[in-house]
Amino acid sequence: MNFINGVTIAIVLFGIGLLGLILRRDLVIKLLSLGLVNGSVILCLVSLNARPDGVPPIVRGPGGAPYVDPLPQALVLSAIVINFAILALALVFVMLLVERYHTTDSQRIEHEIEEEEGP
Amino acid sequence: MRRTSFSMVVVTALLVACFCGVLMATFGYRGAGEGGAPYIARGAVETGAANLVSAIYLNYRLYDTLLEILVFSVAVLGVRFYLAEQKGSEEEVARIPESQVIRTSADLLFPPIFLLGIYLVLFGHLSPGGGFSGGTVAGTGLLLCAVALGADVVARRFHEAALERLEWGVLLVILLFALSPIALWRLPLTDLFPRGNLGSLASGGSILIYNALIGLKVFIGTWVVVYSFIRHRGEI
Repeated sequence: MNFINGVTIAIVLFGIGLLGLILRRDLVIKLLSLGLVNGSVILCLVSLNARPDGVPPIVRGPGGAPYVDPLPQALVLSAIVINFAILALALVFVMLLVERYHTTDSQRIEHEIEEEEGP
Repeated sequence: MRRTSFSMVVVTALLVACFCGVLMATFGYRGAGEGGAPYIARGAVETGAANLVSAIYLNYRLYDTLLEILVFSVAVLGVRFYLAEQKGSEEEVARIPESQVIRTSADLLFPPIFLLGIYLVLFGHLSPGGGFSGGTVAGTGLLLCAVALGADVVARRFHEAALERLEWGVLLVILLFALSPIALWRLPLTDLFPRGNLGSLASGGSILIYNALIGLKVFIGTWVVVYSFIRHRGEI
């Protein structure tokens, strides 16, 4: 059994992205990690049903070529579009936060919000 | 501080373990490939599209794709709304004089990139591609032009109000087109167009029309997002 395949790489990428999402304080790097997590999920879904002799699901003529499953590939499209939407909107919110607090450091932003609210 | 990051590492490890568990549970599905078997068996005949992925997301699961287009539109609207509220930085960002290399290569590259986008849109039902990827390719070509010529020069060629009207008009046309079979007393989202010869450009029923409309929509949306970011900052 080959252990370096799409699924294991997706697990590693998912872990790296999740660690970055939780541990890094910079908001932009957090968003990049979110993109990495999304990419790993896409890789996982597409490679889950991969087969060594598979051909792309594009019908060239009659007869049953060993097509790979087209269903996950069609559903992954939604994930890509929604990832684009999330990243674009989140970047806008980061820009608004930077404009107000002049930093992308999430903990410093939290600190300043606490100071603003005051005792 | 050390303790919180340690506990977060533990939480992360647990989450990754959960993810692996879900994967292991789905491994039974792996290799079976039964989810898409009906599409492989009948998809090309039923929809007329050689690309089975297009056949699924623009025919069998069109409802899904329509809501996806709505998500895309809402994202573009959100970017435009929140960035228009802020007028951007007051001080003018110094315009960096672009080098001759970038200008020339942009002039050389833009036509083939745009053409590739149109090709991806038009042949989405025959080969890899489709409205989403083709629209993004064409929109990114405009971004290249904006880098080389300056965003304002590119933006001046579009009438912004007309662009906005076109963006929402395309969305309206897509939704009306999807609902139009009601007029013929059929279920909405039914494909009424002839299937055509498998592999020719005029095949696949209404998939080509959806691809063209989605490509236009994504092209405009990509440009609006890119231009909103650029204008907010002042210049690339």
